Amino acid sequence: MPQPGRPDEPPAARPAAHADDRAPRTAEASRPRFPARVYAVGAEPDARFSLANERTFLAWVRTALALLAGGVALEALDLPVLPGLRLAAAVLLVVLGTLAPALAWWGWARTERAIRTGRALPAPVGFAVLVVGACAAGALVLIGLVLR
Amino acid sequence: MSDADPRSLARERTRLSWRRTALGLAGGAVAGARLLQEVVGPAAWLLALAGLTAALLVARFARRRHEADPSVAQAGGRLVTTVAVGTLLVGVAALVVLLALATDRVSVL
Repeated sequence: MPQPGRPDEPPAARPAAHADDRAPRTAEASRPRFPARVYAVGAEPDARFSLANERTFLAWVRTALALLAGGVALEALDLPVLPGLRLAAAVLLVVLGTLAPALAWWGWARTERAIRTGRALPAPVGFAVLVVGACAAGALVLIGLVLR
Repeated sequence: MSDADPRSLARERTRLSWRRTALGLAGGAVAGARLLQEVVGPAAWLLALAGLTAALLVARFARRRHEADPSVAQAGGRLVTTVAVGTLLVGVAALVVLLALATDRVSVL
């Protein structure tokens, strides 16, 4: 039977992970968990919370990939949009798509810390950037279509 | 399998989420290679190969993690960080492609 969560693991085991670095390494304690900024605090949570956090991160990564694909396609497919505005929209989308994984990682780390320490979840990171950026890119394409 | 444990469902959803991400990565790599081919020639398919390899690795690693292999189950943060950095690099590459397309006025169609 798989042991998914190990929710009953004593929390004290985590900070000590660095201390016994020279101890014979078992599969369980083979490497200190990365990043320490996240895993050095708090207690092991219910696996479901960590998994949900991971899925949110992955949704951000897919959003980033979609933004990148949209930005490159906009320019590559030679759509009938005013070229300057089209390039501006494409660059904006690609910059957003490059920013998104960084924001996703930051949000993942902050949320994981909050889950481990039992605090309230932090406000979502980067929503404003994403929404404003996507709206601006859409507006640029729209204006480029009208003014063509 | 402990099917009664709702955590197994959460694991399954997470695994499928990883799989969707890997598929997106693979598709993006092939599409990107098709575009880059216009700029740098057949060498662009190296990008497709790299992307497909990365997608396969992500899917495989996520599966081992899903099956709670203890040595891998702990690596969640490493996997997350690797994917974030990888996506960021894809973004930088996309920016380069974009600027190449914009300056050369290369069209795919």
